[in-house]
Amino acid sequence: MFKLDRKLIISASLVTAVALSVVGCFQGGDVTPPPSSEFNNHATIDGGVYYPVKDGRTGPYRINEDTLKGGFSHGRTPTANEIAAWDKDIMPDGTGLPEGSGSVEEGAEVYEAQCVSCHGDFGSGGAGYPSLAQGNAVTLQKTLKNQRVKPDADGPVRVFGAYWPYASTLWWYIRDAMPHTKSKSLTDNQVYALSAYILNINEFEIDGEKVDDDYVLDRAKFLKIKMPNVDGFEPIINGPQALDNVRNYYKDAKNFGGLNLKQGAVRCMTNCQKETAVVTRIQNGGISDLNPPLSSVRDLPAEKAVVLDPAQTLYEENCKVCHADSSMGAPVMGDKVAWGKVTAKGIDKVYANGMNGINAMPAKGGANLSDKDFKSVVDYMINSSK
Amino acid sequence: MDNKQSNQDLFSDSIEEESKISDRREFFRKTAALGVTALAGTSLFASQDDPAIMHHAPWGQKWGDPVTKNLYGMPSAYEHNVVRRYTQLLASGNYRASIAVTPIQESTGIITPNGLFFSRSHGGTAHVDPKEFRLMIHGLVEKPIVLTLEQLKRYPKVTRTHFIECPANGGQEWRGPQFNSLQFAKGFMSSAEWTGVYIKTILADLGLKPEAKWMLSEGSDNSEMGRTVPIDKVLDDAMIVWGQNGEALRPEQGYPARLLLPGWEGNLCVKWLKRIEFAAEPWYCKEETSKYTALKPSGKAIQHFYANEVNSTVVSPSPEIPWTDLQDGQRVEIEGLAWSGMGTITGVDLSFDGGKNYVEAKLKGLVLPKSWTRWSYMHTYKKGEVLLLTSRAMDDAGYIQPTVDEETSVMGVESVYHRNGVETWEVTATGEVNHVQIRS
Repeated sequence: MFKLDRKLIISASLVTAVALSVVGCFQGGDVTPPPSSEFNNHATIDGGVYYPVKDGRTGPYRINEDTLKGGFSHGRTPTANEIAAWDKDIMPDGTGLPEGSGSVEEGAEVYEAQCVSCHGDFGSGGAGYPSLAQGNAVTLQKTLKNQRVKPDADGPVRVFGAYWPYASTLWWYIRDAMPHTKSKSLTDNQVYALSAYILNINEFEIDGEKVDDDYVLDRAKFLKIKMPNVDGFEPIINGPQALDNVRNYYKDAKNFGGLNLKQGAVRCMTNCQKETAVVTRIQNGGISDLNPPLSSVRDLPAEKAVVLDPAQTLYEENCKVCHADSSMGAPVMGDKVAWGKVTAKGIDKVYANGMNGINAMPAKGGANLSDKDFKSVVDYMINSSK
Repeated sequence: MDNKQSNQDLFSDSIEEESKISDRREFFRKTAALGVTALAGTSLFASQDDPAIMHHAPWGQKWGDPVTKNLYGMPSAYEHNVVRRYTQLLASGNYRASIAVTPIQESTGIITPNGLFFSRSHGGTAHVDPKEFRLMIHGLVEKPIVLTLEQLKRYPKVTRTHFIECPANGGQEWRGPQFNSLQFAKGFMSSAEWTGVYIKTILADLGLKPEAKWMLSEGSDNSEMGRTVPIDKVLDDAMIVWGQNGEALRPEQGYPARLLLPGWEGNLCVKWLKRIEFAAEPWYCKEETSKYTALKPSGKAIQHFYANEVNSTVVSPSPEIPWTDLQDGQRVEIEGLAWSGMGTITGVDLSFDGGKNYVEAKLKGLVLPKSWTRWSYMHTYKKGEVLLLTSRAMDDAGYIQPTVDEETSVMGVESVYHRNGVETWEVTATGEVNHVQIRS
């Protein structure tokens, strides 16, 4: 027990040491922070002010410093299995990346079945969902210098292949967060297959080999992926100097478009503007799709707003994104002809197709609805399209 | 090559769509007209008695509600327009990787009511069963730990008032103003009094290893939202919070517990917190690579862009709070908000000509670090005057808001995040207020 306590004390003092070295004034064992005035210029990693805990205060707040001394025994040690169950993050060096494999072809199948309804054909993007590819990643990476300073200028393309620094992020995110309506449901091999497919549509090469339609991706190959934009970010956050890199970066306001009065900026009070400055107005009415519409009226809410068909609510929440317009290829709400063709098959067939999924539509559109609720929305959509 | 990004892509600012503003205009014109009518009742020169005074009010002549009604209180039914709002432009993920923004035009003081706190998630609002909540802390610590919610709440509490701001606040307007609305131009933020525990308090017993440089925080939600935090912040003022304005966190705010990194990007303050791990190298989560990185004209993007820089806005007047009802010669308060994630607001300057000349405004109320701060300036209104109201805040780290030109000269117009150039409202001759920008 004594041993443990001692260890904890050492660990705790290390914590203090790190904390003080952070603010650049660790003086070997002296744990009393200097007066706050010495910290008032870029003492923290973000370039901001450090408010030390001192004399029962931190900034304007009172604090009971006894609470910071530890000695708590709440909680318990997790088991090795529990840690393994949750510690599933994937790092660029392959930490956490499991063995497995999947081909581009298999990935295309999974994609067609589970992804295309949101991300569009070949990752082109869809109603409210990001594009996954727009062509050759190496070529597109060069667009990152594009600035839309003129109305018709092309902007930078920030899709996976052109922008992301490491492929580990893709694998991790697909496994944990995709498909959006049913996350954490893909097998490791399916994630490899989808990764292979996405590398394919981004026109990648791995270790000199083109990720073509026959390509089979596995862990060893995955770790050889070189992203074209791996050096496209600042400050550098890996390696032993990482924290100092970051601290130094944010010490200089110029790095991030800031202006600092302690770094030569001036608080101008008169004649501060360039002659060329003009009033720029909102163009074409700006963004006016604001919901609910702006209003500062203080009255009682309209009666009709209160009574909403429950099926309409379900439609708004679950179906509208694909059925509101033709962009997703789904029958559009209110389109008599399109829905006439659908219902010609008989209502039972319509229900079954919807519940099992048809074409790009996943089962129940990916929504978490009971059969009864799902049928009520189908009825609502049919009735609204007569 | 079609480089146009989907205008649905959350926080991309490629908005080219034609849209009509006439409905909104029409609405405010009507509101203003109502305001004038209402004013007649209280005018110094009233020609007739005001029925609101001359008659008994209906609510004064009958029983009100019993105390047994609304055991959790609700706002007055008349306040139904004071709500979070959303736009199709930011409808990503079928409104599950999306945002609903705070009506800061209706905010008073420096606290946002919990029901109006802006709501942003990457996989929808999770509803966590507190009985099944577990927080695991592991990695480069001597003693990993798992806590239930009750055990977490046993730790000594600290209570702090801090804003949380989405770094894309104003991020749709790098190339010019887009929203004729304070709620949408600046409402990707809210402020609350948070209660929780310093992470350094928990770590005091866990024995952080010296090689630990980074902390992963991970949510239990549908997107398994994760972010990497440098150890400096962890050992300074980082908290795990469960209390918001005197009650439990709302589901939209990460119930039952979330990370709070005072002053830093809202996205870093991971909600529905589940796991904290310490490591020697950073993680590269999706929301710190694909998004929340600020692209500069050099083609390089700033990653780990932590603090929301010093910022401010005029709240009254604003597009939602026009001066159409003001009479010539009336004294009126110009009021606003200032905030900085890098320190404490030290002052706010106000310009009436879009930033040519400034006068000093007054701070008021509590002035706290990494918190909303109210400021004020008294003005005598001249009927028909046209003004360009620009506010400019400063903090104790020395930062002062740049002009739009100064900021874009470094950051370009494609960075999406961390825009803090000064904002300008045009007050027209009729007292309407428009969002404009002053740029070369």
